[in-house]
Order: sequence, then structure tokens, then C-alpha cells
Amino acid sequence: MARNTINSLSSADLGVKKTNKWAEAKRQPFLLISSALLLIYGIIFYYVPVLGWITAFQDYKPAKGFLKSQWVGFAKFQKLFENKTFYLAFRNTLAMGVINLVFHFVTAIAFALILNEVRVMFAKKFVQTISYMPHFLSWIIVTAIVRDILASDGIVNEFLMNVCGNKMPIDFFAVKGYFWWIVAFANVWKETGWNAIIYLAAITAIDPSLYEAADMDGASRFQKVWYITLPSLRPTIMILLLINIGNVLNAGFELQYILGNDVISDVSKILDVFILDWGISQFDFSLGTAAGIFKSVIALILVCLGNWTAKRTGDERLF
Amino acid sequence: MKKTKIAAVALASLMSVSALAGCNKTPGASSGTAAPGETKQAAPGQIKEFSAFFAVPATTEINKDNEVQKIIAEKIGAKCNETWLAGQQPSEAVGVFIASGEYPDFINGGDAMKALYEAGALIAWDDYIDKYPNIKEFFSDYEWSQFRQSDGKIYWMNPFENIYGEDKTTTQNGEAFWIQARVLEWAKYPKIETLDDYFKVLEDYNKANPTTHDGKKNIPYTMLCEDWRYFCLENAPEFLDGYPNDGSCIVDVNTKKIVDYNTTPTAKRYFKKLNEEYAKGVIDTGAFTQTYDEYISKLSTGVVLGMCDQWWDFAYTVNDVFKTQNTEQYGYNYIPLGLTIDKGMENQWYTSGGTLNVSSGIAITTSCKDVEGAFKFIDDLLSQEIHDLRFWGVKDVDYKVDENGMYYRTEEMRKNAADPNWKTKHLCTYSYFPQWSGTSRDGKNAMMPAEQLSEFKDTLPEPVKKVFAAYGANTYIDLLGSVNKAGPWFPMYSYSNNMKTDTKGGEAWTKMGECKHAWLPKVVMSKEFDKTWDEYMKAYAACKPEDFVAEMQQELDRRIAAYEASKK
Repeated sequence: MARNTINSLSSADLGVKKTNKWAEAKRQPFLLISSALLLIYGIIFYYVPVLGWITAFQDYKPAKGFLKSQWVGFAKFQKLFENKTFYLAFRNTLAMGVINLVFHFVTAIAFALILNEVRVMFAKKFVQTISYMPHFLSWIIVTAIVRDILASDGIVNEFLMNVCGNKMPIDFFAVKGYFWWIVAFANVWKETGWNAIIYLAAITAIDPSLYEAADMDGASRFQKVWYITLPSLRPTIMILLLINIGNVLNAGFELQYILGNDVISDVSKILDVFILDWGISQFDFSLGTAAGIFKSVIALILVCLGNWTAKRTGDERLF
Repeated sequence: MKKTKIAAVALASLMSVSALAGCNKTPGASSGTAAPGETKQAAPGQIKEFSAFFAVPATTEINKDNEVQKIIAEKIGAKCNETWLAGQQPSEAVGVFIASGEYPDFINGGDAMKALYEAGALIAWDDYIDKYPNIKEFFSDYEWSQFRQSDGKIYWMNPFENIYGEDKTTTQNGEAFWIQARVLEWAKYPKIETLDDYFKVLEDYNKANPTTHDGKKNIPYTMLCEDWRYFCLENAPEFLDGYPNDGSCIVDVNTKKIVDYNTTPTAKRYFKKLNEEYAKGVIDTGAFTQTYDEYISKLSTGVVLGMCDQWWDFAYTVNDVFKTQNTEQYGYNYIPLGLTIDKGMENQWYTSGGTLNVSSGIAITTSCKDVEGAFKFIDDLLSQEIHDLRFWGVKDVDYKVDENGMYYRTEEMRKNAADPNWKTKHLCTYSYFPQWSGTSRDGKNAMMPAEQLSEFKDTLPEPVKKVFAAYGANTYIDLLGSVNKAGPWFPMYSYSNNMKTDTKGGEAWTKMGECKHAWLPKVVMSKEFDKTWDEYMKAYAACKPEDFVAEMQQELDRRIAAYEASKK
């Protein structure tokens, strides 16, 4: 369990402090070098790019570069916040992000619990393997699959017309009310199996004596899941929730970009597409950067809020 | 988005690496100039390789071992590996190039040329043009001067719609309301002048003949609205009012003022008509959600009776499918109509004499290591021998020459020329490099096979021949009956295409586009047209179209002044 691991780690740290640090260091050159490499990697790929943020406060022109582009203060942010499409895109991103997050957790946990109850080892492995395979498809492939199955001559419409007796095919991509759910469905289809793996792993770490004790007390299968498995998963769930909450505004790109069209653009346009339209396509890299900063700030706030809540309720937290 | 970006950057770096490789292979290659119409033979093993990126999706992507490309390479000592836009917007692709700072040797960034110029990515042409006679010959001094950018230099040339000698245009390359030949034949070749006439014929035909030859249900009218191709839906009002394709606005010839065609009474009538037809079920219900590929495959099956589009946007693909599938006989080919909103108006759907779009073209980038070689490559491609190889193909394989020196093709050669396989493995047109239309330097033949009158007439499908005969026309142009009143400022889109959000007018232009994309489908599908139209107009006014009009007016005044000055 996560809590146990963290505890054991910190006691190991204490042990290191008591001995001579240099002697300790000499004995583990590999560990030190690899962590240094990781640190350098982190600085280069996570911290140096943040320097690019200064372009948000400039009227950045690639020909002039960072140093000679004109400084414009918060003008680009002002332009961003005056744009109606931006708010629309923000709303859609948030909505799809939250829907995806909820579905992500509910389906992955439910799937892990159900799979865990399967007693035939072969069937369990088989289902698990099949279920996580879509994870390895790229989003563009998934987009094409979704497009095909929901097309007017796709499998869903064929089914509706031949079995349910619909007269006309439904144009799924022309109804605003469907779009968010189509995105959610695609996410569930692609990621549920993969997301369930970590829960399945956590379930195997639960002390079997708990179940044995429950058996003695005459608990039913369902009661064991409800009173033992789920509470034992709670720390894992909280940590994953906190990590994922920062990704709420990364609600995908390919699905919305490819499947969106003029009829449903009010609900399909998301922030990343907005950045593409108003930033890169207009060569207004500064505006794009400003929108990117906005996204990061929101993500940071969400993570902090989540962490603070976790602290209040006494749950597992990130920092 | 991250994934696409990374892929694009990877692609860009890959291309630049290949560009470097290309230049390294040719140490000390000579960069001599050639007389017009003449090319030097290069020794084998000395072939330079250039790279090019075109910000349009490929119509044909040729094979690596393409036969004509090899012949051209042997003759001029250079070849070019072309890369095309795939699944991106032109300006996105160019934006990624700019962000990376690495470019292919040649680039045609479409509407994003100005951004490339501002990023300092392009080589100025001024010192080179005089050295290359075929390039210099391509434009008059006044035409070249229109390409000058804010620093007074020339950075690119538009490769298209330039006529050498006598005009031999046979096809309406631009926009029109198109109608299938079978509809006209059934209706006994009526006179169709207005939008109302047009939809009436489509409806009547569809009632009498609801299916195609193989039993597929007809779609009387469809329109493409995907992304920038939504001109098929949105810009008809400027033509219906009798104005030429200025693209983004109307220029009132008398007052020399810019008029916004989105808000004219004609625009309202046009969309009201579409609204009525949509309610009647005449318009394709999938029109607003179809992609370009879906649209083309719809057209290729022959089910679509009519649509508004530009020839180059559909005909090259669709007509070839009709030819190879042997469905031409059913009259699926499209005939252009010069419609106006009311009877008895002049129309300017076709504008003669070529159109000079100075906003885009082919450029040589700062990443190119052999600039002289690159100019020589363009120059060589314009020589008559190579031009013939590009567009006519190999003598006696792709065309024959009769005793009078006229080029012609046998039926098999024509089938080949329309065959996608043959196009990828044999023909190499370098289709986005500069090219001539009009008359060949031999004074007899046409530069392009499609403009060779004998060839044009012989290749017309039977049903189209009948249409031509019924209306007494020799070419598609004759069918339109357009007049030419375009002023020296024409076409205004060569300015608006380059507008970006860094100006007030450009910001309005972008917002207007977004607004039209979102509202026009609503307007057409609305159950209460007038109410929706008013809402649309309100949303449209909020985009401040007056800022756009003001900037266009400024450009119009500038162009008129420049033209007056050049006459003195």
C-alpha cells in the first residue's frame, strides 16, 4: 500500500543521515550519477522551457528573437481575455476534462473490482490483455475508429436502423448534445483497461488475512468489496486523483480537432484548438504562450486545491 | 496538440537534414545560366537534390523512382523532392517551420508567405532575376514590382495562371454553380440564369429521376464547408451580384469603394433560398459535417447533381474518377453556370487574362545552401523542353506529334494521363513550380494538354459534347458568358489572404470568419430564417467588419495609386 511504502522510505532516509555521508556516497556512485542525470533532464526539459514564457509579455517575432522583440506587458493577456471564443473554449475544455476525469475513475475502479472477482485465471488474463490494448493505439487512430462507427453508414446507425427500427441515420456529429459524451466514450474505450492495471496491482497488495477474517464473519462477496477492497484502495485513488486533476485542462486534442465541425463548434472547440487557431495559425506566438500560461496556472490552482482538501480530510496527498 | 507539434518538428528537422544532404552532394557545382528554351545536359552522378514544401495537400504524390523526374534530372542536373501538407492547416505547418527556424530549399507557404518573410526565412530575388531569363520573362516589370514587400524587395513568384502568347483557356478554373450534364440533357438544355432557375431544375430532375444508373439515391445539392474551403458556401453573393472573385469583398467599380458582400440584400436572398431548399430536403443533410475527402468521394460516385465550387477544388480528382470508372457516359460531369441573383444581369464568374495573386508563391529559403542552383532549377523548369516534359510527358509515350507539328494523344495515352498509378510512377509535373498556360513557344501548341483545343474537344465525354453543341459553346468559358470588368486592383484577396490578427482589420477578418463558420449552418438549417438571420447579423456586427473594410479600402486606394503611377 502507498502509505506503507512512504513510511518505509522515510525511515531509510533517517538511517542514511546517521552514517558518514561521504563514505555512503562513495559506495553508491551509480545511484548518484543516475539521480544527477535525472535532475539535469528535469532542468532541461521542465524548467528551461519555462523561460519561453517571457514571450507572452512581448510581441514576439521569430526574426527578432527574445532579445529584440517589443515588450508589451499584459497586452496579450488582455487580448486573450477580451476574446469570446477563448471563454467558449475554456468552458468546453473544463467540461470535457471533468467528464473525462469522472469517467476515468469510475470505469477504471469498477473494471478492476469486477476483474478481480473473476476466479478463472485464464479468462482474467485474457480480458485484461484485450482491455488495455486500445491504450497503445494513437489518438488519431481512435478518432478514425470513432468517426467510422458513428458515421451515417457506420455500425451504430446500421444497428439502430435494422434492429431498433430507426428510419433515418442519426448524424452524431451534428448534434451538440452528443459531442462531450462521444469524447468521454472514446476515452473510456481507450484507457479503461490501462487505468485499471494500477488498481489491480494495489488490490493484490491487500492483506489476505483481512478477507479471511471477513469470511469467518460471514461477509458476502459484495460486502468484502465494499468494506475491504475499496477502503484499502482509498490512498491509491486519492494520489491518482491529485495527479490527474492537474491534467483536467488537457482534455485531448485529436478528437476535438478532427471530429469538430462548424455545426457543433460551440461545444467542440477546446483550448488547444483555440491556441492553434489564434496563436500558431496567426503567427501570434505570444498569444498562444499567454493561453498556455493561463492553462498552467489553472492546473496549478486545481492541484493545490485538491491537495489542500486532501490534507483537511486527512487523506493521502502529494505535498 | 503536443504530439502533432512534435511530429511536425521532427518532420521539419528531417527535411532540413535531407536539404543539407542534398547540398553536400554537389561540391562546386556550376551555376551557369541558360538561354531561354535551352537546357544543358548534365553528367550523370552530378544530380543536385533539392527539397520543397508546399502548404497544400498533394493531388498526386509521385514515387521516388518516378520516370519523368529522372529524365528531367538527367537533362538539367537537378531534382526536387516535394513534401506536401498532411492533415494540417497551411499556416500551422508554416508556423512550425518558423518556430524551428529550419526550412526546406523551396517553400510555398500559401497564405502564410508574409509570415515567412517577416521571420527572415526567405532569400531576396532582386539580384538573381536578371541572371535567369526564363524567370525574368515570367512577369512584366510592373507585375514583378507588385511582389515587392515592405522593404522593397521581391521574395517569391506566383507559379500559376500566367498566359504565354495567345490565351488558350478552355476551362473555368474558378468558381461557378455546377450542374451535371445529365440534368441539362433531361431538361432539354434550358436557359438557366438565376439561382431560382437553378434549384428548380435540380428539384424537377430529382423528382423524375431520383437515382443514379446503379440505383444510388441522388443528392440534388451539396456544399463543402470544411475550414478554408467554406468559400463554397459563403462567397457566392459576390458573384450573384455580378462581381468578380475579389474573394473577400466587392469593389464597387463606379465609386471605387469596398463593399462587404456578407450583409448585402443579395446575401440574405441567397441564404434564404438555401434555407428553403434545405427545408425541402433538396440540400444534403450531411453538408455541414462532411470533410473534403467525403465531399470528393460523394461527387465521385455521381450522386451529387449540383454544387457551388471552384474547378480546381474538385474537377481534377472527380473527372479522372469518372473517366477511369467509365461513368462519364451517364452524364455525371459538371457544367458551369454563370448565375446571377436576378435575370438579365452581367456576370464575372470568369475573369480572362490570368490572375496575378501576389500574396503567395514559391520562395527560396535561407536554409538553402545552393541559391544559384535553386534559381537555375526554376529557370530550367520553365524552358520549353522541360515544360513539355512536365505537362505533356515523354514524346511517343505520352503524346505524339503529327506532320504539322501539333501534339496529340491516342485514347490509351489519355487513359494513362488520367490514371493515378501512371501519374505517380511516370509523370512528374512539379505542379507547384512556375508554369505557363497559353501558347507554347513554338507558336502552335498549347502549354498544357488540357488547353490544346483539339485535345480538349476530343477528350470531352459525350454528354458534355452534347451540352456544348446545344448551347453553341466551344469551351467551358463560353458557357458562362462572363464579361471582364475587373480593375487593376483585381484580385483583392491577394491582400486579405495575408491578413493576420496583428492589425485591427486582420483581427476583424479572423473574427468574421469564425462568426460565419459558426452561424451560416444555423442560418441555413433554421426553422425561422428571418429571426436567425437577424441574430447572425448582430453577432456579425460584433466582429467589427468596418475595421476590415477600412483596411481593405486603404489597400484598394494604394493599388489604384500605384497603377496610375506606373502608367506615367
